[in-house]
Amino acid sequence: MAWVHRFLNGAYIFRHYPKPSASCPFLGTRFAYYCSSSLQKPEAAPGKTSCQRNSEGDLQGHHQKEVVLDITSPEEKPEVSFDKAIKDEIMDHFRRLKDDIVNHWIGPEGRPLHEVLLEQAKVVWQFRGKEDLDKWVVTSDKIIGGRSEVFLKMGKNNQSALLYGTLSSEAPKDGESGRSGYCAMISRIPRGPFERKRSYDWSQFNTLYLRVRGDGRPWMVNIRGDTDLIQRKNQMYSYFMFTRGGPYWQEVKIPFSKFFFSNQGRIRDAQYPLLLDKISSIGFTLADKVDGPFFLEIDFIGVFTDPAHTEEFAYENSPELNPRLFK
Amino acid sequence: MSWAQAILLARGLSRGWGDICGPLLGAPFSQVPLRAARGLHCSAAARNSDSWLVPPPPEPRKGPGPTKALALHEELFQQAPAGARDKANFVRAVQNFGQHNVHKRGHVDFIYLALRKMREYGVERDLAVYNLLLDVFPKEVFRPRSIIQSIFIHYPRQQECGIAVLEQMESHGVMPNKETEFLLIQIFGRKSYPMLKFVRMKLWFSRFKNINPFPVPRDLPQDPVDLAKLGLRHMEPNLSATVTIYQMPSSKDSTGAADPAEPHIVGIQTPDQQAALANHNPARPVFVEGPFSLWLRDKCVYYHILRADLLPPEERLDLDYGRSGWDDYEFDIHKVEEGPVFAICMAGAHDQATLAKWIQGLQETNPALAQIPVVFRLAGSTGELRESSSGVKEPPPPPPEGQEEEEDNQQRQQQGQS
Repeated sequence: MAWVHRFLNGAYIFRHYPKPSASCPFLGTRFAYYCSSSLQKPEAAPGKTSCQRNSEGDLQGHHQKEVVLDITSPEEKPEVSFDKAIKDEIMDHFRRLKDDIVNHWIGPEGRPLHEVLLEQAKVVWQFRGKEDLDKWVVTSDKIIGGRSEVFLKMGKNNQSALLYGTLSSEAPKDGESGRSGYCAMISRIPRGPFERKRSYDWSQFNTLYLRVRGDGRPWMVNIRGDTDLIQRKNQMYSYFMFTRGGPYWQEVKIPFSKFFFSNQGRIRDAQYPLLLDKISSIGFTLADKVDGPFFLEIDFIGVFTDPAHTEEFAYENSPELNPRLFK
Repeated sequence: MSWAQAILLARGLSRGWGDICGPLLGAPFSQVPLRAARGLHCSAAARNSDSWLVPPPPEPRKGPGPTKALALHEELFQQAPAGARDKANFVRAVQNFGQHNVHKRGHVDFIYLALRKMREYGVERDLAVYNLLLDVFPKEVFRPRSIIQSIFIHYPRQQECGIAVLEQMESHGVMPNKETEFLLIQIFGRKSYPMLKFVRMKLWFSRFKNINPFPVPRDLPQDPVDLAKLGLRHMEPNLSATVTIYQMPSSKDSTGAADPAEPHIVGIQTPDQQAALANHNPARPVFVEGPFSLWLRDKCVYYHILRADLLPPEERLDLDYGRSGWDDYEFDIHKVEEGPVFAICMAGAHDQATLAKWIQGLQETNPALAQIPVVFRLAGSTGELRESSSGVKEPPPPPPEGQEEEEDNQQRQQQGQS
């Protein structure tokens, strides 16, 4: 059953994968092509099941591209027996289901309720081992034919993650892209038993905290909520993260009230605050139109409550752009 | 019906047809009613000309050289000699378009071409030039005059062109002004897409103008020493740090290239770092690491740091402030700790000799450095732009390690002698 589900999931992704531009309707001859939000996030399963898929045979044409995207999967693919692997997966999922039911009695996500309610600072992603890197996917404009490269690896002493590569803003010669040049690192959507989509609930926190060390380039932090509905597939909330550069670690604190809403890569006129109860993923994008190598070292990513921050939303809607909201 | 009346009627009809067929058929049709509209307003001389015909394609260039097909109107941009590509020539080319071409045939193509050429002429961030380019559009013609016209995108090619001009302004960070607004209203009307884009630009640019907590000036200094000073001040958050120039570039030609024998060396150090270096245990070595890259807008500079390794846990001072249960804002994670940084420098070359000069210069303000062994951990030796990952702890290959030990023995001997 798990195998069937994963096969269908995989086929679904691969069917949509070769046409990322179809979801971006502003792709006229002369319109900009800011692609990070219109990418279909390739939610590749861990390396073991990609072995299974490779042995299918009818996905031959696509598994090359999967290897290009799935840079964080391990290089060596150990030989596993097909049936044993399926059985292990199924047992694993049932175990997770059992844990899930047991945890529900203890409290949200298995922690007692008083601990969850009083919590004011939470580490959401840390980078202390290879398995932490598997929770992230890196993409660049190679998908649309550009020349940027991006890689993710563990940093010094296995204490941080290093995202590095080269940005190239040379537009692909496909007749429809005017501009190009972006690299992105996106977190995978958290999954429960049987690969059900889970989401993060950050409703008690009001600020995003990142401990990074960059090279002076400006990045964009994107947060996506629930993307199951078609209308919400390309919506995301973003804000800028300016790195200082230099040898010192930098603490970036971005309150959630500063995130602006965008759909299909364009800022929308009607702005609404980010709702924190169903966050699926977070991503970092670099698209500052400057060619050259870049790096970003990340220590950890957390959320906390800043008691001094009382702003609810930073952007007012203007009656000139959106008269319907003011009737 | 006379011949003139027939022509007037036909022109009026074609203008009407042009509005509907424009979105369907594209550029050629929109140019015919444009000229017909001008024809109605202008003098008798133009009325008799055969403005029905689509302008002939430009003749292929004869003579030596590659016979690449020129874009329409490209010859306007080739009148200036190749060396003098600056604002005055660009402005002259744009004005020449209007002078020889009263009806402004092909203005859309010309504007697209001018937008492409702006970067060569170095005027992509000049608002006056963008306003001049918007001035190329004929005024009052593309404004919708009835409800039907305003429902459908009136003159869509021209509106797309106007949006393209504004989009290039946006991508270079140029804020439009009142003159742009007036031009857009005059050309397209208040409810058009370029005007909508202008309103959005005004709103979002003013919202995001000052969000960078570490702003870098737009016009970076050309002099490498000034650039190094700017970069060092940018990296060091402590404002009481002092920047010292240990070596100026020896020869300054007109091109400003530094002499490879004597590149510039600029360093920065805070009083806290000086004190920490004075208290540093001489038995532990300090490392010169680098080069690491720093981007200032679109220029990449490289810097090196002088740092020591972390003290082992038993020697470390652990200052743990007690916090109450309500006020627990600390993250439940052991943050990455790295050894203290004692100084940062930016130099023209990234080899050991230049950095050794920096260390010697540092010794004047930090006499304790004379007793401390200095180990050079340099990654790579080329000065071009490459992927340098920060602080990658790869074991250096054996021969350089031998050289490093030799070097620091020599250092100690030199320090002993000086």
